[in-house]
Parts: sequence; structure tokens; C-alpha cells
Amino acid sequence: MNRAVMTRTMYLFVLPALIFYLLFWIFPILKLFQYSVTDYNGYVQQFSYIGFDNFKTLAHEEILGVSIKNTLLYTFISVVLGNIIALALAFLLNANIRAKGLYRSAFYIPTLFSAIVVGFIWSYIYMPDEGLIASLLNKLGFTGIDTNFLGSYDKALYSIIAVDIWKNIGTSTIIFLAGLQTVPQDLIEAGKIDGAGRWSLVRFIKIPLLATSVTINVTLSVINGLKAFDYSYIMTNGGPGTSTNTLIFAIYKMAFTEQLFGKASALGIISFAIIIVITAAFVLTLNRKEVSA
Amino acid sequence: MNNWKKKVAGITLASLAVASLSACGSNNNNDASSSPSASASASAGSSATASASASTDTSKPVTLTMLLSGSKAADGEDFELDTLPKLVKEKFPNVTLEVQKLPDDQYYTAVKAKLASGEGPDFFTVFPKLANMGAIEVAKAGYAADLSDLTFWDNFSASAKNDMSYEGKPYAVSKGMDILGVYYNKSLFEQAGITELPKDWPSFLEASEKLKAAGVTPITMGDKDPWVIQFGMYQLAANSVYPADPEFDTKLQTGDTHFSDAGWIKTINQYKELYDNGYVSKNSLGMASAQAMQQFVDGKAAMIFTGTWDLPGVTAQGAAEFERGFFSLPGNDAGQPVYASASTAAGYAINASSKNLDAAKQVFEYMFDGSSPLFEAWAASNTSIPVYTGLTTPNAIFNDTLAEIQSTGNAYYFSNQMWPAGVSDAMQTKFSEIIGGKKTTAEDVAKAMQSKYDELNK
Repeated sequence: MNRAVMTRTMYLFVLPALIFYLLFWIFPILKLFQYSVTDYNGYVQQFSYIGFDNFKTLAHEEILGVSIKNTLLYTFISVVLGNIIALALAFLLNANIRAKGLYRSAFYIPTLFSAIVVGFIWSYIYMPDEGLIASLLNKLGFTGIDTNFLGSYDKALYSIIAVDIWKNIGTSTIIFLAGLQTVPQDLIEAGKIDGAGRWSLVRFIKIPLLATSVTINVTLSVINGLKAFDYSYIMTNGGPGTSTNTLIFAIYKMAFTEQLFGKASALGIISFAIIIVITAAFVLTLNRKEVSA
Repeated sequence: MNNWKKKVAGITLASLAVASLSACGSNNNNDASSSPSASASASAGSSATASASASTDTSKPVTLTMLLSGSKAADGEDFELDTLPKLVKEKFPNVTLEVQKLPDDQYYTAVKAKLASGEGPDFFTVFPKLANMGAIEVAKAGYAADLSDLTFWDNFSASAKNDMSYEGKPYAVSKGMDILGVYYNKSLFEQAGITELPKDWPSFLEASEKLKAAGVTPITMGDKDPWVIQFGMYQLAANSVYPADPEFDTKLQTGDTHFSDAGWIKTINQYKELYDNGYVSKNSLGMASAQAMQQFVDGKAAMIFTGTWDLPGVTAQGAAEFERGFFSLPGNDAGQPVYASASTAAGYAINASSKNLDAAKQVFEYMFDGSSPLFEAWAASNTSIPVYTGLTTPNAIFNDTLAEIQSTGNAYYFSNQMWPAGVSDAMQTKFSEIIGGKKTTAEDVAKAMQSKYDELNK
């Protein structure tokens, strides 16, 4: 068959997918840009264009700074702690221990639950005075400790980050574990012959060869952190005050409780920009550090 | 390679695409979905089924959908979820009523997404006046149907009708009247030596002090659900803001009054006093409203602020046996009368673009005719104070408060009914800082409310 006809037909096959993509993905995003310069309330279908007023109001309201700060903190802690713990777990679970399969499944179980279930369970664990942690501390004789985890301005954000790490640790661990199993045995043997100790093997052979898994895990958890919404919504309602407002939660609240769809769209665009910049920076730096086995 | 194979493949693909599209369209509307986009697409089916019959022909099957704010009754039959569809079916065999209830927050999100996409339910919950999903708002947007031609309006109190009206036409049928108040534990009050119910602010503080001295938590609030802050605040505002200036909220619109005026500062400071003195359970910010309710029914706290609608929760069986009572939070100075916080309750509206407008109206006519089994069931299950001629509340706990309101007329509406949605939210967010022990002052709270008001009041 004629090559040109072939190419033309190929385009035809792309068409259905492309139409769906444009209609349900690109078009709504463009709509967001349109709404961000209006006073649309998401409800009454008439609205007027107000230029960059939404962005200006956002610029001098504290919610923008608070939610960016919370989101970055959320991302930083969940990326660093989440990946360190996952890496440690992966090394442990890769070792020759009994009932390895059992442990591996156990650490993966939290990942299988939906965020709503996890959030609900943990709000009871965190309950002041009568929750699991509070009563455990009481039993152990630590009575002076403040157990108001979700209701305190200083602790609420960290408490929900901990839940996020707990839930997502399984995924990262599995990826690290898979990476560890691809480390070639001959390299390790060569290292041993050269007199490398256990730590040197980890530091100079295993971790460099895990770079691909590190990139995947860090990128995934950066994106996950920047998009954080679930636990603020389920466990704290963004509170107390605005102390667990993440960017996405602030957008949600602005759009649906305050009925400021236009302003929420503007905030959406700002966070869109932040997420793209940070993710791109991460992927580029980490890619450079990868080595191929 | 031959050409026809590709053509067949193309046609198959195209038909697949169509099939998947139509699969989206025929989704049933029954499942409760909290995400707005999901509910918007899920609702696509409802109008398809509803459009089957546009006339009032009783032989054609009609499906009516109802989306309400609220949660299912803890035990027994839920009026709206169980009784209502059954009794409607008995009277109109061709009408199937599908009812879905969502908690407040999700309700606002879901119903707005559905209405805005033109796929709204046939019946939905509407709140009075300017509140979030208030009658004025939905009528202005053209989402609620004008109900002036229904025949039962003479049986409803004028205020219930007016609060659901826009430009003189009613757009929703209110369930009655709701009162905000203090539910209290009579035995704990007795134990603490409180012989007389507090009648003004100083005596309320005194009673709380007595409870605290007796080792009882005076008040429990689930401030992790910040909207409960409104329950105490509006009762105080009814005493500290409106008696001095009943038109306060109307003047807000024109800028003649401000939240930073003395009235609201006093209100916020009064509420703050309860937290400063440690009368509200410590750690309230970490407790959800259901958990606070549990503390009350378990006899661990003497009082909880909420409204008539929470009666089933407040009277649920807990760990302790005790008698419950109800009174208006007295925010008044000594020597002044107590003003209650009472408002027209939420009600039912009909979608203006419903394909079965007549059928929906017939259901209303039947439901509010004053004698039908459906009316009886509605009256019996209603926790709001009825405003229907000849009906009295079946709940004796409210009798004293109600009698006082009826004899003196001393009551004001819930403040947020005259504010754009979002102002009460600003109040809650800022007041949470006070609860959380930050150095926020009443002036800061008022300022946050005012700037949100200015932003929203356009």
C-alpha cells in the first residue's frame, strides 16, 4: 500500500482519542484560564470579566501564603521522611529473614485502603483523651502529654502528614524493593572481592544503582505532596483555622463554600504554575544523577 | 494489507466510542458521590429518565429525584428516605421517587454542580433568605420553580412563606421553624446546685462556674467541625446585636453598619469568654461534632449548643441516664429580656426546569393537604417547630422556649441567613484561632468577617 495513504489513515485512528483528550482535558483547562479573570460564582450562569482583580485580591490575602507554605512543608516532609523510611524498609525486606512475604504484604496493606477510610480511622486514633494514642500514652503512664493532635495549631499539619506517609509507604517500598532486586549479583561480588564492607556495598553500589527508583519515588511523592487534599478535607476540614489548608484544599473551599469560582480558578492557575515548576526542577536534577547498570 | 479491514476497524472503534459515551449517559443517579465532577456526570441519567413523561398522565411511569441536605435517621424509618417514597407510591402508583441525602457540605457542592449543568434533581433542599442555597439565591438564578399556585399556602405561617420568597413569590415549602438553644443535662445541673435556669449572661457564667467547680465540663462543642461555632454565636448576636438594631444586616449591605460595630464585638467577646474561662471542653478543636454529641449523651458534659434539628442525636441513648432540657442561651445583660434565635427552617423546592413539574407539584399538594397519610407522617417526623395551622410540636422539650417566643415575640433569625455564604466561614476560621489559644482578638474576627463580606457583597 501507498505510504502516504497509510500515514493519513494512521491520523484517523488517533482522532477519537484526540477528540476525547481535547474535549475533556484541554478544553476544561482553558476554561480555567477564562474563569480566572471573571467573577463567576460557579452557579449563576451570568458573570462579568474583571481583569486581574482575582489575582490582586489573592496577592494580599493571607490564605495564599499560608496555603503555599503548608503545601511546601507537606511536600518536603513527606518526600524526605517517606522515602528514607521506605528505603530502610526495602533494605530490611530484601534481607534474608523469615516470613518475608508476610512482612512485605503487611507494609503494603495501608496502600490498599482508600484515603477516606484511612482518614476516618486515623481521626479516631488521634482523638484527644480517648483516642488510641491518647489512651496508650495514658496506660504507659505518660499523662502530661498534650494529645490534641488534630485540634492544635502546631501539630495538626504534622499529624496529617504522618498519616499520608503511613499510607503511601507501601508503594515506595515496593518500587525500591524491585530496584534492589535488579542490582546485579556480580557487581556485589566484585565489591566484596575488593574488600568492601556491608555499608560500602550499600553506599557505593546499591544506592547508586537505585537512582532510577529514587527518581520515580521522589517524583511521585513530590506530586502527591503538592496535590495534597484528602487528609485536610477528611480529617481536619482545613482547620484549626487555616493551619492545614493546602493549595488544593484552599481552592476547593474557595470554590464551593465561598462560591468564588473565579477567584478559585485564579488560585488554581497559581498552584498549577508552582506544581509544574517544582516537578520539572526535580525531574531534571534527578535525571542527571541517574546511572545505568 | 487490504483496505476494508481498516475500515471495519475504524467503524468498530467509532461505535465503541459512541457506546462508551452512552454508557456515561445512562448512569443512575442513586449513588452518593462527593466529588463534584462525578456527581455532575452521574446526574446525567436522571433527566433522561425524567423526560420520559412531560404530561400529568397518570398511566405513564414517572421518576422524580430528590436531593436533600441531611443524614439518615440513626434508627427506625427515615422520613425522607423510606416513608416518603413509599407513601408517594401508594397515592401515585406511576410515580417513583428516588431520594438521596448528603451531609451539608457535600450537599452544597453536589446540588450546585447538578443545577449549574442543567441536570438538577426535581426536588431539593433550600434554606431561607440569603443563606447558602438560600431561597433568594436559587430563585434569582432561576433554578427554583415559582410555587404561588399551590393551594395550601393559607395554612402556613406568613413568615415561613415570606422567608422562602423572592419578589413576593414563594419558591420553597419550609419544614417549620428551627430554634437554636442549649440542650442541658438536668441531673448534672442539680448536682452542681443550679436550681434556676440562667436568665441572663451573668447568671449563665455563674452556672457554668458552678458546674466547673463541681468537676463537670460545662459545655462540649465539636469545634473540629467549625460550623458549630455558629450555634452559640448567633444566639448571642440575637441578644447583643439585633435588639439594639433590628435592621443591622440590611444596613450592612449599604455600609451603614459594620461587623466592627460594638454589637458584634460584644457578641464575639461573650463567646470568647466561655473559652477563656475554660467552660468549653478542652481540646474541642480536636473533636468532631458527633464526638461532642457523644460526650453529652454519655453525661460527660452538661451542655451543648445546637438547634432543634439535632434533637434525635441529643436524645440518643448514651452511657448515662438523665433528663434533657432546652433553653435559649441568654446573652442579655441583667434586667434585659432574653431574645431567642429562631428561624424559618430549611424546606423543599422544585426544580424550575423539571420535566415533571406538574407531577412534582401534585406531590406537594398531597404532602401538605393537612389530612393525607403522607402529611401525618411528615408532621410526626418533623423535628422543626411546625408552622402549619393546627399542628403543634410533638416534642415537649421545646415547649417552654416556644411559649416564651410566642408570648413575647422576642426572637431574631440566624444571622447567616442575611449574609452571603462565606462570611460565616470567615468567622469560624478566625474564631478557631481564639479557641486554639492564639492572640487573636474579637476585633480581628470582626475584621475578617467584614472584609469577606465586602468581597462577597457585590
